[in-house]
Amino acid sequence: MKLRLVGGMMLASVTLMLGSCVSDSDSAGLEYMPDMYRSAAIEPYVDYGEVKGRENVELKMTQSALTPPNGTIPYYGTNEEAVSVMLPWSILPNIAFKQTHGLKGVEFTTEDTYNTSAAALTENPLEMEFMTEKNEEGEYSATNLTLKRGKKLYEANCMHCHGAEGDGKGPMMKNGTFNGVPNYADKKALSDGQLFYSIYYGKGAMGSHASIVNKKEIWSLVHYIRKIQYSDYDNASKEAAIAKASGLPVVKEQSDVEVMGGEGDEVHHEELSTESIKH
Amino acid sequence: MKISSSQMFRNLSKWSLKALALVVFAGAFSVNAQEADEASAESSINGEALFGSKCATCHHPLKDGTGPKLKGVKAAWAENSKIEGGIYNWINNWQNAAATDAYAAEVAAKKPTAMDKFPALTVPEMDAILAYVDAFEDDGDGPAGEEVCQVPVEEEGTSWVWYILGIVFVVIILAIGGVKRQLRVAAGEASEKEDREHSYADSFRGWAWRYKRYVMIGSVVIFISLIVTLFLRMYRIAVVEDYQPSQPIEFPHNVHAGINGIDCKYCHNSVTESRTAGLPTVNVCMNCHKQVTGESDEQKAKIAKIYAAAGWDAEKGVYTGKTKPIVWNKVHVLPDHVYFNHSQHVEVGGVDCIQCHGDMTTMCETAKVQPVSVLNAIEGNVKLTKPTLTMGWCIECHGEKEISTGAVNTNGSAYYEEIHKRLMLDKDLYNKYLEDGKVTVKELGGWECAKCHY
Repeated sequence: MKLRLVGGMMLASVTLMLGSCVSDSDSAGLEYMPDMYRSAAIEPYVDYGEVKGRENVELKMTQSALTPPNGTIPYYGTNEEAVSVMLPWSILPNIAFKQTHGLKGVEFTTEDTYNTSAAALTENPLEMEFMTEKNEEGEYSATNLTLKRGKKLYEANCMHCHGAEGDGKGPMMKNGTFNGVPNYADKKALSDGQLFYSIYYGKGAMGSHASIVNKKEIWSLVHYIRKIQYSDYDNASKEAAIAKASGLPVVKEQSDVEVMGGEGDEVHHEELSTESIKH
Repeated sequence: MKISSSQMFRNLSKWSLKALALVVFAGAFSVNAQEADEASAESSINGEALFGSKCATCHHPLKDGTGPKLKGVKAAWAENSKIEGGIYNWINNWQNAAATDAYAAEVAAKKPTAMDKFPALTVPEMDAILAYVDAFEDDGDGPAGEEVCQVPVEEEGTSWVWYILGIVFVVIILAIGGVKRQLRVAAGEASEKEDREHSYADSFRGWAWRYKRYVMIGSVVIFISLIVTLFLRMYRIAVVEDYQPSQPIEFPHNVHAGINGIDCKYCHNSVTESRTAGLPTVNVCMNCHKQVTGESDEQKAKIAKIYAAAGWDAEKGVYTGKTKPIVWNKVHVLPDHVYFNHSQHVEVGGVDCIQCHGDMTTMCETAKVQPVSVLNAIEGNVKLTKPTLTMGWCIECHGEKEISTGAVNTNGSAYYEEIHKRLMLDKDLYNKYLEDGKVTVKELGGWECAKCHY
């Protein structure tokens, strides 16, 4: 009898040990000091129904990422030109978009703003930024920073459908997951405003990308799409930038020596100020 | 030769008949020729290409999309529309068609999206498109994403075998002990009563006293190994390697980032701007999943959860406005006393996601904290030794990861360039930090306590 009892106890303890060794992928494991691990302040993607061991049933498993109230304008610095790009867009989407694209936090209009003068006559307000450099022989070259940024954005947000060449043959198209993405070469007739409209509010099968890219980024994308359509798109402005740089006394070498925060040459300074506005 | 008038009339009528026949024949021939011309013109119009450039953005021959499916619409229009060629009017200018044609008005009410107008399309072109659509067959090739996830089966059986063997040994020892006692009782060496007094503990005490030297050495060994085990276990506290919380939707990263080639930054789009990489809001899912409804039942069930969250009525193809959040479980959780910034690493430092999160293009389960051994196996990663997401792991990388001026995307800020410049100018300082011959994050202040703890 005693034998069985002892045996049973040992068996039970071994089973307990085994149980404690099995890893549970749902558990992050032990923490040293949970009160230093869990923030009392609101953090993203954390269940606020359960903070520091206290449960709040009302908040448990509710939405944490919320859209800002209607009409909220984020702070984008004091550069007037840059801020004007970031202000709410005056052209409202068609009321049908409420059903087809599920837009939230925007106002609608009953007019067909996409095809009428509203969007169709809008031009890209974002001026392309150039970084000019002087080589050893005194020749100037300009890099288009806006297109560089646009390319990066395009590769992250558009390429999987629209393709690296803008021909509508991205990887999703090639493997048949998706169909019906237009070739940019067929869409040269669209205005800048219509391109912006399509990215901002969506068009047809494409959803609104306003939550992913901000207005300045969309305008850079519009520049980049134009560059895909016309390979000589930025030639004129590039030449202008070079002319401006070579006409001015370029003091790029000086700014290298100066301690940061010092005034560089005019082009350089502009670059800094516009850059610092990006969020 | 005299020909009677009647005969003449007969002949005349014969000729005229012949002539009529000829005319009719010729006419018929010319009609045939015209038709043949039209047919050849039609065949020279590539219906597929036209469909691709004009219609495919919204329409699919077999599936409802932004616009309704198109297979059989020509027949439906011919049947229902009172106006001949009503469908051509519709394609050219649907608004005008809807104003005059009752069926067109009915069609216009079907979808909330207004169709584009195509006044430039000619009737043969439209015929070519409709012919292509009607001839369209599903090639049976399901879209990608069907690939069955091959989860590598890890051999975890070994430890269990040892445990079972241990149990078996314990049972055998106890059984033998019991038999031995029973034998002793049977042999009359000890009475039953005496045996009860001599419990296991008593006999063990006697045995331990007899071999006290060995028992002492043994217990010291056991004690030390217990202490070591305790410390090893304590080192694993707050190590979250292999943490893989279950998610409301089992998201297959390999289908999205691998097969479909979607950039990580498309969904985790705040990674370049913010401290957190961000989880996509449901509207980002809906950018594709409005069309991609899934092939297998499992996929359909998962995608239905997205629809429920976004308030999308897949039957009617409209948003209902009734949304409910998807509550994802955060996988990579750092303690509150550590500050980590994604944008600093990804945008400024140019670190690839793969360095810390592993190769998600092949990850078919839900996201998990990859053990450092898995991360080290990836080509191009900085090789580290400490467990993932521990402080040792962070500062190890800060000491290893080389920073060259070009590698840092200073994004207009002269901060890092300035540090580099000063390091270069002050040769003594530079040499002091540059023992290993490279500028690492450490040399730019990456080992300062207050960089992450404040």
